[in-house]
Amino acid sequence: MSEYIIQTQGLTKQYGARKAVNQVTLNIRRGDIYGFLGPNGAGKTTTIRMLLGLIRPSQGRIHIFGKDLHKHRMSILKKVGSLVEYPSYYGHLTGYENLEAIRRILDVPKSRIDEVLSIVRLTQDAKRPVKGYSLGMKQRLGIACALLGQPELLILDEPTNGLDPSGILEIRELIKSMPQQHGITVLVSSHLLSEVEQMANRVGIIQHGEMVFQDTIDSLHNRAQHRIQIAVSNPEQAFRTLASSGCSAEFNEESLVLDYMPDNKVAAIVELLVRNNHSVYRVEEKRQSLEEMFLALTREGSRQ
Amino acid sequence: MKSFMNVFHSEGMKLRKSNIWLLIFVSPLLASLLGLLEVNRDAELNAWPLLWTIMASIHALLFLPLLTGVFSAFVCRYEHNGGGWKQLLALPVSRSGLYMAKFLHVVLLLALAQLLFTAGIIAVGFLKGYEMNIVPWDEFARRACSGWFATLPLAALQLFVSTAWASFAAPLAINVMLTLPNMLVVNSEKYGPWYPWSQPARSMLLISDDYGAFNMPMETLLFIIAGSFIVFLSAGLMYFSRKEI
Repeated sequence: MSEYIIQTQGLTKQYGARKAVNQVTLNIRRGDIYGFLGPNGAGKTTTIRMLLGLIRPSQGRIHIFGKDLHKHRMSILKKVGSLVEYPSYYGHLTGYENLEAIRRILDVPKSRIDEVLSIVRLTQDAKRPVKGYSLGMKQRLGIACALLGQPELLILDEPTNGLDPSGILEIRELIKSMPQQHGITVLVSSHLLSEVEQMANRVGIIQHGEMVFQDTIDSLHNRAQHRIQIAVSNPEQAFRTLASSGCSAEFNEESLVLDYMPDNKVAAIVELLVRNNHSVYRVEEKRQSLEEMFLALTREGSRQ
Repeated sequence: MKSFMNVFHSEGMKLRKSNIWLLIFVSPLLASLLGLLEVNRDAELNAWPLLWTIMASIHALLFLPLLTGVFSAFVCRYEHNGGGWKQLLALPVSRSGLYMAKFLHVVLLLALAQLLFTAGIIAVGFLKGYEMNIVPWDEFARRACSGWFATLPLAALQLFVSTAWASFAAPLAINVMLTLPNMLVVNSEKYGPWYPWSQPARSMLLISDDYGAFNMPMETLLFIIAGSFIVFLSAGLMYFSRKEI
């Protein structure tokens, strides 16, 4: 058994002259919750459609469970549950019947329906037609459909799209429980880093069809720059004071912002400020938020 | 085979719960009504072939081609709504199996409509007091079957269009537009046999080989129908297997 559940090499999808996905290499390990990030239109859904065999790659290979997707599509898809963009459902059927329609294709025992209904907590509403469901319930039904075949891999494309905060929280908790409780590896795409960082242990960032980052969430955190922020009485004057002694800084309405520096240097600067009659209110270490990093990474990507 | 039956039953379940299948009653009922209203002035003669012609004209010229389009569009309807194809085809199903499951449901519904239509004729004849022991069973069965057979190319063509066109209404509108000129086309010796919308009427209305307008032998017509059916079905299957979802 290969270590990787999903592995792609040089995955490319070309529409005319435009490369929607360009040389993408994904490595997703067993038990990962892999956050697949990128702005809208970066190629996330196109990549996922290729992973599910819905469209053919123009170039490159996809291995899922160590097997070539092109050759073993059926046996691979048996062990994959998916939710692509908006969850689809048959509005005239009840939640239970929707699951039954899929269950027949998957050929799993009927008891699975009640199991997945209780996992997504839809047991109460199972006998109602789906057209009366709220968006959050539909989304949960979509996840129930994805779980029906007892998959080893879940591929969820923007599962929290359009949900309210409590719905988002619910889906997030559900996804987080997958690896521990059910031994399922999860690939979840999103355009919101804040969303993904709360559930994923590994992230891949795609921009204009190309991967700009792929590593653990911790290493993404480590790449975040640390800065020192000093709240002072008059930032503009303080800035001049520092500049005259050869120390570069930026300032805003309330504080000075300096690049990260060791403790003794911070002490020296505070001393300098106090000597020059500035009131120092606060000295803080600021970490660049992941959101800012994400923007910086995707901006780098767009410059290339 | 087992996995095909699974897909087939899954499709059947979606269709049964939709009530669209109730449409199979519409055409036999309307045709029967027409048959009842028709006053037969010469009741002494064998009235069954005439009754068949009256009832089959409206059924085969109009309703049967329309129903074919409705059913073909309908079996794709839910998948066209909001990414249904993606969900369905990301399951372990073979695309050609799914396509055939949908196609079979269309043609099964049409077969039921033919059965009901025939039952309607018998019922109308009975109500009008026609001689029950001279019902031309063989002829009726043959006509009903060949009428059904003649819907196959149209069903295959309509399913092809319905899968290709991500819309429920558009293929239907096209079907209505192409069904309406049937009255004219069906009488054309040159084009009629080749026009998929008129093939059901040609197959059902030809009461006997010397019945006037239709001079083409039945065998030739069936041959054209079988040929175009194979072409349309394989084109649709090929398209659907490669389609980017």
